[in-house]
Amino acid sequence: MPLTYAAFPFLSTILLACVAGLLIILFLPAEREREIKWVSAVCSGITLAISIFLFIAYDQDLGGYQFVERIDWVPSMGITYFNGVDGFGLPMLLLTGIVFFTGVLTMWEMTLRVKEFFALMFLLVAGVFGMFMALDLFFIFVWYDVSLFPMYLLIAVWGSTRKEYAAMKLTLYLLAGSALILPGIIYLVINAGLNTFDLLALSEPGLFTPGQQRFAFLLFYIGFGILAGVWPFHTWSPVGHVAAPTAVSMIHAGVLMKIGAFGVLRLGMTLCPLGWQYWAPLMAFLATVGIVYGAFVGLSQTDVKYVIGYSSVSHMGIVGLGLATVSVDGLNGAVFQMFAHGLMTALFFSSLGYIYDKTHTKTIADLGGMLKTMPVATGYFIVAALTGIGVPCLASFWAELMVFISAFKVYPIYGTLAICALAVTALFILRVVQKVCYGPEQQRFAGLPDVSLGLGAPRIILVSVIVIFGLFPSLMFDMIQTATIPFLDRLP
Amino acid sequence: MISPHPFDITILAAIATAMLPFIAFGLIIVFFRGRDRIAAGISIGAISAALLCALFLLIKNWGLTGPILYTARWATSGQWTIPIGVLLDPVSLLMLTVVCAISFLVQIYSLGYMAGDPGFSRYYAYMSLFAWAMITMTISPTMLQLYIFWELVGLASYLLIGFWYEKFSASEAGKKAFVMTRVGDVAFLLGLLLVLLHLGNLNILEMNGPAVGGRMPPATLTLAAILIFGGVVGKSAQFPLMTWLPDAMEGPTPVSALLHSATMVAAGVYLFARLFPFFELSPSAMTLFLTIGTITMLMASTMAMVARDIKQVWAYSTISQLGFMIMALAAGGYFAGVFHLTTHAGFKALLFLCSGVFIHHFGTNDMFELGQSGGRSLKIPMICMTIAAAALSGLPPFSGFFSKEAIMAALAELDNPVWLWAGFLGAFLTSYYSFRLIFIMLFPRKSEEPDHGTVDDHDHHEGGYWPMAWPLIILAAVTLVLGFGQKGLDHFLMGTMTDAARHGAEGGHHGWLPFIAVGLCGIGVVVAYLEFGLPRSAQIGFVERMDRVKHFFAERWYIDRFYRWFLDRIIYGGFSRLFTANDRKVIDGGVDGLGRSTVEAGRRLSDLHLGMIQYKLMVLFVTMIFLGLYFFF
Repeated sequence: MPLTYAAFPFLSTILLACVAGLLIILFLPAEREREIKWVSAVCSGITLAISIFLFIAYDQDLGGYQFVERIDWVPSMGITYFNGVDGFGLPMLLLTGIVFFTGVLTMWEMTLRVKEFFALMFLLVAGVFGMFMALDLFFIFVWYDVSLFPMYLLIAVWGSTRKEYAAMKLTLYLLAGSALILPGIIYLVINAGLNTFDLLALSEPGLFTPGQQRFAFLLFYIGFGILAGVWPFHTWSPVGHVAAPTAVSMIHAGVLMKIGAFGVLRLGMTLCPLGWQYWAPLMAFLATVGIVYGAFVGLSQTDVKYVIGYSSVSHMGIVGLGLATVSVDGLNGAVFQMFAHGLMTALFFSSLGYIYDKTHTKTIADLGGMLKTMPVATGYFIVAALTGIGVPCLASFWAELMVFISAFKVYPIYGTLAICALAVTALFILRVVQKVCYGPEQQRFAGLPDVSLGLGAPRIILVSVIVIFGLFPSLMFDMIQTATIPFLDRLP
Repeated sequence: MISPHPFDITILAAIATAMLPFIAFGLIIVFFRGRDRIAAGISIGAISAALLCALFLLIKNWGLTGPILYTARWATSGQWTIPIGVLLDPVSLLMLTVVCAISFLVQIYSLGYMAGDPGFSRYYAYMSLFAWAMITMTISPTMLQLYIFWELVGLASYLLIGFWYEKFSASEAGKKAFVMTRVGDVAFLLGLLLVLLHLGNLNILEMNGPAVGGRMPPATLTLAAILIFGGVVGKSAQFPLMTWLPDAMEGPTPVSALLHSATMVAAGVYLFARLFPFFELSPSAMTLFLTIGTITMLMASTMAMVARDIKQVWAYSTISQLGFMIMALAAGGYFAGVFHLTTHAGFKALLFLCSGVFIHHFGTNDMFELGQSGGRSLKIPMICMTIAAAALSGLPPFSGFFSKEAIMAALAELDNPVWLWAGFLGAFLTSYYSFRLIFIMLFPRKSEEPDHGTVDDHDHHEGGYWPMAWPLIILAAVTLVLGFGQKGLDHFLMGTMTDAARHGAEGGHHGWLPFIAVGLCGIGVVVAYLEFGLPRSAQIGFVERMDRVKHFFAERWYIDRFYRWFLDRIIYGGFSRLFTANDRKVIDGGVDGLGRSTVEAGRRLSDLHLGMIQYKLMVLFVTMIFLGLYFFF
């Protein structure tokens, strides 16, 4: 795969922007909340701007890894600071940029321990960005763990609804995941015998025996799969979604779960293609169970955030199903779904966050008539719901369609089941929309202010992106294809 | 086949037709929420321009020899390019004109009907959304594009049914409509994927081409046809997914006129016509469709006979007429089905719009109350409604007569006479229930109840009368004239068909058919008059005298009960409850148990480090025993 070195270290600049934001906030006094928020907005805006720039500047005809930066770090152990992005990484960078920026804007009205909150957010997002751009196994693992630890504090301190329990559960689950990933990495690095953590060097075909690949892939699949909400390792995710504060829910469901799927793709499938093909039927089975199961469990939830949480399980199942098809369409759909689902959940939580901030409840039975009380804020929520249902001309439709097409080809039964789950998905999401948004206006919520244009900005951005990619899916497919086609050509 | 340049005037006009309403939708939603006059202006402006374009296209391409196709790349995945584009052939041109015309008239009418509604601008935004989706669906060159906009049409329907979202019944009906059509669409999508698997693409012209039969085994083809027909069943409210349509009447009446009678629900029939040569390849599937159409047609007619709600009657009759169209197409009567679709769009929209005037004026949906409050004093709607009801019944010289005649001719072509008899029975029932309503409205009985009309809330009267009256007059004129255009339309629609298809699709000519059919309709009208029109009649129909039967029909043959039971018991009470319990108890419980046992194990182990000599001795002792066992054995 061609490597194109960067004339300017754009990728490191993204990371530096996060670190700069973190440092500036640390040196600002805690009571200067306004300044802290502005610093966060500017720094996250920089990361978004660079992500957009990279997405556009990427040379699709050339393909391969571009904007590569490489510095030997610990030569004796073969550890290099090695960054680069391809058609898989760029959508994720863009997603992270969008979700982070809109997440910061969503928290504009927060007042509790502002300084610590935003500082931790920067740390978390630095890990996420790092994970999506790193091409060195050591760094991938480090960034992965960097992104996990702030979650504990962010949920335990700023959360709601059984927050300590949720934070502990989430951290333990994800640590259990990394306890599988690290042995996987070490196992492969030692067996390769090249004394390098370089992902590209290790992904040379024929380096590992089929047996080794099967073993390592299983470690990666379960390790990262926990984070991606693969059934039956998903139960941390709805609990975590519910407990987390709005922006953290956005990043958590929007980006962190993608790290899991991306990890399976970048480590598991790249390093162990034979293992991937061997375990693909299992992946397809678990993914299909997740899709159907998530939808049915979502039907009987009483808390809106739980419903969104289980919809995430269901929608991430579509990513898993796409990855399991071992086909161009499936992979295209899976990566697109990661992107689209990230936007969708971010919009879900962002709009629900506003409603929750004003009404102080997210129990379905307590809400109602919100469309009357705050039409604009609720409108965004409905758009998110429609995206979740898979309404065409919104981003996730294309992703789901591609996955379904390839799944139907490769696994007719699973594909059929997943498509049938569409009806249940529609039912459980519309049920929430009906109970929360429709109905007569509730007296106790009467007079609550609707979202202003300024506060609505993050939702406007998210809706626009969802619609743009829904109307012009080739913007995304053309990008992803630059990676999927060579990726599958490589397979034996 | 002509594949013109994108800047060809025909293609530009087609694109404009589709995109103008979309632009209107975007403008209203983004900039003009709450600006009622501007919103209505933009929306009506867009649909008028679209209508002009559609008429231009129809006239320009009258006598078209081959389909006009233009496609551009929408997206690419792997080897597969997803096109977006325009396919203009007689059936799409005709449908395009029908959609634009009815949309235009209904939007004008809504100026009066919706005046003063707090959601006025939202209403026009949704109307534009619907127009965009429906128009683009109509001119789709591929089944994928058709499916995409088919879903969007469903979305518009959902939003418009639940337009008065504060009413629980409205939001419930919207949800029901969406989910029930979704069930059909799932089958539809599966069918499309099956075709895609064998054919490699979903181009409509290719699916209709002769090569399909060779590339798909007959059993697969039948399966695909039946699955795709699932979409028709959902969208066109056929048995067994019919019950969402009567509930959809919760939406504003103009919406019922446009979406739930004239255009959107006809999309299913349109799809059938669109893929007619494809469906025709599977005779067993066609027989199944014929059965479904017949069952639907008769069932819905029986429901209409006992309904009191004026909109419900028309809703059931819509289902029943859609069943007629499906029957016609499934019997091979391509022209008959499409022709009935066209005439039905006109007179059914007219029926709803007339009813809307009454409902708007008197504030009730009940036909007896409407009659008692003096419904017949509203001359224009009453006359127009009678004309439309006559057309619905198939009385000459109204448009419905001609199209129903064509259907009967198609049914008469079949070997088994039972379908024709069913058609006759349906024709009789149709005229009976239509004129039951008309006579109840025309000859009201005095009642002791206070007049509803006079005590009604007054904000209903804000709208102007003429914006509502003009569309009625235009539609009534169309209903009067359209039937005489049969020859021309026939020629236009069948022009591109090959001779073989023409033979099957046109049906023969049976001189005696019109007399029997009209006779039966006449009997229906007479029976209705005897029961409801005669000055001394009790206004109780022969069905309503049989309590059990009446109840059975009024309960929609218990189909809804069954769905409610299925949803509560199987979906909510079964799978959902089971899976949730599993999630809480087994998966989560297992994990929490693991966590607890880890903590517990840690506590036990830490007990060993309390510094108590007896524990240390015990550990020492046990270790010695193990070591001893290890060394000696």
